[in-house]
Amino acid sequence: MLIVEGMPLLYLELAVGQRMRQGSIGAWRTISPYLSGVGIASLVVSFLASVYFNVINTWALWYLFHSFQDPLPWSVCPLNSNHTGYDEECEKASSTQYFWYRKTLNISPSIQENGGVQWEPALCLTLAWLMVYLCILRGTESTGKVVYFTTSLPYFVLIIYLVRGLTLHGATNGLGMFTPKIEQLANPKAWINAATQIFFSLGLGCGGLIAFASYNEPSNDCQKHALIVSVINSTTAIFSSIVTFSIYGFKATFNYENCLNKVILLLTNSFDLEDGFLTVSNLEEVKNYLASTYPNKYSEVFPHIRNCSLESELDTAVQGTGLAFIVYTEAIKNMEVSQLWSVLYFFMLLTLGMGSMVGTGTAILTPLTDSKIISSYLPKEAISGLVCLLNCAIGMVFTMEAGNYWFDLFNDYTATLSLLLIVLVETIAVCYVYGLKRFESDLRAMTGRTLSWYWKVMWAFVSPLLIVGLFIFYLSDYILTGTLQYQAWDATQGHVVTKDYPTYALAVIGLLVASSTMCIPLVALGTFVTRHFKIREQFSAA
Amino acid sequence: MLWALFFLVTTIHAELCHPDAENAFKVRLSIRAALGDKAYVWDTDQEYLFRAMVAFSMRKVPNREATEISHVLLCNITQRVSFWFVVTDPSNNYTLPAAEVQSAIRKNRNRINSAFFLDDHTLEFLKIPSTLAPPMEPSVPVWIIVFGVIFCIVTVAIALLVLSGIRQRRRNNKGPPGVEDAEDKCENIITIENGIPCDPLDMKGGHINDGFLTEDERLTPL
Repeated sequence: MLIVEGMPLLYLELAVGQRMRQGSIGAWRTISPYLSGVGIASLVVSFLASVYFNVINTWALWYLFHSFQDPLPWSVCPLNSNHTGYDEECEKASSTQYFWYRKTLNISPSIQENGGVQWEPALCLTLAWLMVYLCILRGTESTGKVVYFTTSLPYFVLIIYLVRGLTLHGATNGLGMFTPKIEQLANPKAWINAATQIFFSLGLGCGGLIAFASYNEPSNDCQKHALIVSVINSTTAIFSSIVTFSIYGFKATFNYENCLNKVILLLTNSFDLEDGFLTVSNLEEVKNYLASTYPNKYSEVFPHIRNCSLESELDTAVQGTGLAFIVYTEAIKNMEVSQLWSVLYFFMLLTLGMGSMVGTGTAILTPLTDSKIISSYLPKEAISGLVCLLNCAIGMVFTMEAGNYWFDLFNDYTATLSLLLIVLVETIAVCYVYGLKRFESDLRAMTGRTLSWYWKVMWAFVSPLLIVGLFIFYLSDYILTGTLQYQAWDATQGHVVTKDYPTYALAVIGLLVASSTMCIPLVALGTFVTRHFKIREQFSAA
Repeated sequence: MLWALFFLVTTIHAELCHPDAENAFKVRLSIRAALGDKAYVWDTDQEYLFRAMVAFSMRKVPNREATEISHVLLCNITQRVSFWFVVTDPSNNYTLPAAEVQSAIRKNRNRINSAFFLDDHTLEFLKIPSTLAPPMEPSVPVWIIVFGVIFCIVTVAIALLVLSGIRQRRRNNKGPPGVEDAEDKCENIITIENGIPCDPLDMKGGHINDGFLTEDERLTPL
């Protein structure tokens, strides 16, 4: 997927930016005036993405600030009102889940119940946006220096975590997940997930790559850069997955052993066996013995005995915010000197998030500062300030009690279809509208390198077909599943339940997708109409 | 005769203390879980100590200062180790109310635990909830302090950058016109007059050549 899809598309975007020397709107307008809608669509997608993405930085800041306590606040459950036991919700779920759902998000039972804006996340969101503003304030002059830091620190922390992770008890169980299951490779869903992952991790279609490339020297060898960047991207992904899997194995082993201990305790207490008699090794035989000797009592106790299995613990695949804030914190609280590991981890998360925000911010600002209309009225600092302020104001939605549900909604639906469509139109535009031969000669004039046949084939045929395939798959998936659903936290039961989206949420989803995809045809139509009228005017004047 | 009396006393004891008796509490110890290799064996001497600790706790209750070790009865001792106990009044006729026993045990829980090197989890009194220590709450939550520090640093940095940007722009506006921003992508547009850039014609560094006529003298005065 990397070779077939990632590298060609990355090279294409870098080359377009370097050649046109403008942000996304201007670049596509130069290729063809009908296609400036592509640039606008990129801008809209980047804007929507930046609105919801900074909320992750908010949460990272929140956890970072809370890591300076002993013990860590998510490692112990708070007491209930009369101090006789632990809080009920915390008992049913785990302390890390409780801290995430109750203390951080204060989540409501469903997306309809909005609740009010909560001041603690709102403060952290404001701070997060101030930090982003600080980084993109001066444009690429400052972002270049910031990015040196935000890119190198995560590697440093990952190496530390790699060493720590591999030495944890039970880490090898998680690393066993690395062996690819051959039958999964035959499943087309796996390939589709791989294609989507490459697509979004490289940031294609957001306009950020074009914006950054437009600041390059014209003679810059963007082919070499495209290759290096995509290879490093994938290597980093594999590297961080080693760390993740070892931490995962540690957590799964820990939970499995806890589960076994609970079963042992339950049996010891119910049958008044000698303390320490039941161990992990003789558990099964003793269970059978008890079942045969005291059948009545055993059948009473049996419903409470959970079947502990290491495989099921490992199989609970989590991704996204669940992985970062629940699974990792659970693993961290069991390590020694957990405050240090926690601070390191959330600082790394913060720098990664800031790096992404800087990229998205540049993708938004470059077209705005390039356009003569806006930049003649306002200086660069004011434009970035206004954009940050607007984003922060809209982002307050995500600090409400139902905010996490809206976040998931934005996360799942903002970028998927729109980016696929944008990149498809980009590839077709460069190859067929602008002309592959013309682009090739432009590149040769700029960089002095000839375009090899591999890139030509990829750009003209393979990548567009692949994207069309992905697009069709996602559309059919959405249509076939009927109503879209989301995961809601049930405080009374202590785990997530699936609920349907209400109609207005579905309307918002439709609006999100439409606002970016409709730009392309609408602007094309608009340009056509205005041109048509201009030509008519010229004819009638003559 | 003596045998009959002994039999009577044991029967009364058996009636007072049995599983789920009125005012009886079940106790459960997990010695090996708590102490591992250093675990001691639970024998009659340990039971004696337990009865002594319960009697000690009851003596702290007003009106019960006369409680003796013999008034604490244990029964149904299992290998777990678990057993039931009751506290009787001095006449050994009835058991003391559960509420009194419960409050006495709760008040002295730490002493009882430490006598056996155990804690609330490994020495359990079923139906007597233990009072958990509340977590330490500092007066100002720590996170607000850290937040405040970082917030101030970021605001100051932004203010500095914005001010320096404004100052630089003001200096540029006063300086030679036509020179654009440093990080511009296009080449600097330098106003050109007859192929000679205007900048070097600035009088700042050069000497005035008096051979040339100044502006006023070109037109000879009348």
